[in-house]
Amino acid sequence: MSKTVDARGLSCPQPVLEALNAIAAMSSGTLVVLVDTEASKENVCRAVEAKGWTLDSVSEDRGEYRIAISKG
Amino acid sequence: MGLFSFLKQRTSGQDPARADRGLLLFENTSEVIRAEKILRAAGFAVAVKGPPPEVRTGCDLAVEYPLIEGLNILRRLEEAKVPPLDAIPVTGPLLTPVDLYHVKDFGDHLMVRAANMKITVDKRTGVIVNVSGGGCPDVPWLAARLIGQRLDEAPSPRETGHTLCGYALGLAFEEMKRQCLPS
Repeated sequence: MSKTVDARGLSCPQPVLEALNAIAAMSSGTLVVLVDTEASKENVCRAVEAKGWTLDSVSEDRGEYRIAISKG
Repeated sequence: MGLFSFLKQRTSGQDPARADRGLLLFENTSEVIRAEKILRAAGFAVAVKGPPPEVRTGCDLAVEYPLIEGLNILRRLEEAKVPPLDAIPVTGPLLTPVDLYHVKDFGDHLMVRAANMKITVDKRTGVIVNVSGGGCPDVPWLAARLIGQRLDEAPSPRETGHTLCGYALGLAFEEMKRQCLPS
């Protein structure tokens, strides 16, 4: 199962909450979170790691960040 | 009842005893922080608030204090070499201090903002899920220390932070505890 959360344009803590809610609803699979600020990228990564989920990759393209997370 | 199974409904600006309070105005934020620390350590019931626009002097924080303790408080601050620019009674609605806190309920999560800093907690577990705002160098370090910790076990940002952002986060942290933890 793969899912994408587009949190671009949202200010913290909403990107973090949307990412946490989306991954909590998944039993297993991959979640991609899109954000457009450095702070949101840091906060999503930190929250994911605090929850014990796996941060697969983080990439940046023209100020937008793509965070890949896996569960299970 | 679980530790975090309820939230206290608190609203700002409903203190019936406001008329017996005053505001200490300072030149800068560092003095507000120092004065608050000195007065709290001395046992005075003070709180940091946003001053009403009519009396703002450049610093966007003020110390609210009980008027009856005014003389003792001023003496203590003069001894500590942190005299306020002014001490005014809160006498009318236009002079009501502005609450520094903004609380937003996201359903499963609760966010408290104090000045420029925000802290967000999972209401079911009491775990801090996010810290954001500010631009001070210790914010990432504070976030790393707090996120993933339960609210009642996390270190106080006021003790561990070293900047105005850390101080504001400490205020948000304490307000979050007031909102979420049973007293």
